[in-house]
Amino acid sequence: MTDLAAVAAPIAPVDTTRNKIAVRDLDFHYHDFHAVRKIRMDIPERRVTAIIGPSGCGKSTLLRVFNRIYSIYPKQRAEGDVLLDGENILDPGYSLNRLRSQVGMVFQKPVPFPMTIYENVAYGIRHHEVLSRARMDERVEQALRAAALWDEVKDKLKRSALGLSGGQQQRLCIARGIALRPQVLLLDEPTSALDPIATGRIEQLIEELKKDYTIVIVTHNMQQAARVSDFTAFMYMGELIEFGDTEKIFTKPDKQQTEDYITGRFG
Amino acid sequence: MPNEHTIKSYDDELARLTGEIVRMGELAATQLEAAIDVVERRDGRAALRVVENDDAIDALEHAISHDVVRLLALRAPMARDLREVFAALRIAADIERIGDYAANVAKRSIPLSMVAPVASARGLRRLSDLAAAALRKVLDACRDRDADKAHEVWDEDVELDDAYTGLFRELLTYMMEDPRSITSCTHLLFMAKNLERIGDHATNIAENVWFAVTGKPLESRRKKGDETAEPVMPRLGH
Repeated sequence: MTDLAAVAAPIAPVDTTRNKIAVRDLDFHYHDFHAVRKIRMDIPERRVTAIIGPSGCGKSTLLRVFNRIYSIYPKQRAEGDVLLDGENILDPGYSLNRLRSQVGMVFQKPVPFPMTIYENVAYGIRHHEVLSRARMDERVEQALRAAALWDEVKDKLKRSALGLSGGQQQRLCIARGIALRPQVLLLDEPTSALDPIATGRIEQLIEELKKDYTIVIVTHNMQQAARVSDFTAFMYMGELIEFGDTEKIFTKPDKQQTEDYITGRFG
Repeated sequence: MPNEHTIKSYDDELARLTGEIVRMGELAATQLEAAIDVVERRDGRAALRVVENDDAIDALEHAISHDVVRLLALRAPMARDLREVFAALRIAADIERIGDYAANVAKRSIPLSMVAPVASARGLRRLSDLAAAALRKVLDACRDRDADKAHEVWDEDVELDDAYTGLFRELLTYMMEDPRSITSCTHLLFMAKNLERIGDHATNIAENVWFAVTGKPLESRRKKGDETAEPVMPRLGH
């Protein structure tokens, strides 16, 4: 590994915790479109990092690089390094299976599998581990509890997940993500399709999950970024404009572009 | 001046808030000038009118508080917008106090006008001029978002402090020379103190303008003037 730190100092919020993900000179192309440009950032462990920015700024793309979900599409390519605990996940030698078990992802619209609530959570675990019936029950319960859904579904685990409300479905997706005991949880607009009460539950859940997970959340809701995150990154046209303590970004950002965006003066 | 908001009515509401602050400040400055005028003219009836006019300032403070709460609830201001709204609330509170002090000066002029004139009532005019100038200047700074001008007001308050200390000493001398002047000199002392406090509130406003514009507190220690007029604290223990 080259000494990347010597090339250019990464943008990192000031914090004493160690970094979980280190992004170094990351570029991303969708065919001819240069969607993410020379991103350097350090994402602290067991903290919530929010990425904000206008549509098309590259924030979701950045998130999608963190678990290489883009690689299922042709003509999309990432260049640079994304180090998870010091290992470059963009290295073809880093197995996708291993990566997905370490980096979970939850999307904007809840997408439960068309199977029972229990199976939705157990499915992923089976893919990675062979467990006894009793151990599997335990793991499913743990995941549902961690996602603050257990009390609502414990009596109907054998029913279809599609019968749950939107907010419950989204928490089920979070349960599915954390059932694999990942290190990192990526949330792409996880509450944009939910009502305020369901949103509040997810936000409360994020606060609890950060004790165990490194969370990166992409959101268009600035108040949500302000409420749930410890650090906030502002992206614009594929570039990382500013990254720092959430409190600072929302009270006294350094860059004019950040200020214009968060105060509603953009474009 | 920052760029416009995408939602125009947000700009209108922020502009209205600034307008109300400036109007409230103008009213307080006018009250202050009217107060010193009734002192000099020894006009008790006019003094009562100044006292009554303070209600208009209080009403504006209520309107500003209402607008601030509304802006916070409905617009969820961020960054500079948030600082400006927060500063507006604090500035309104300072102007309200300035209005009270101006009314107090007018009120005390009533008993003063019933006794023989005291020579040093003239010293009050200088204090009042300095206080009014500071207030008007800080209102300009507030309207123009001029942090440097606000800083000047903050620096210049030392002049008002010095003038107050000078008057304080002068009045003490009068009282020692002629105990019959104690009643009127005491009224004058309180009035002088009120005017000096108006200067302090103008510097508070300057601090809030500075914060709204720069995002930092105005914290370097102001150089202190003569401390003759400061209360002396007894030293405990030996």
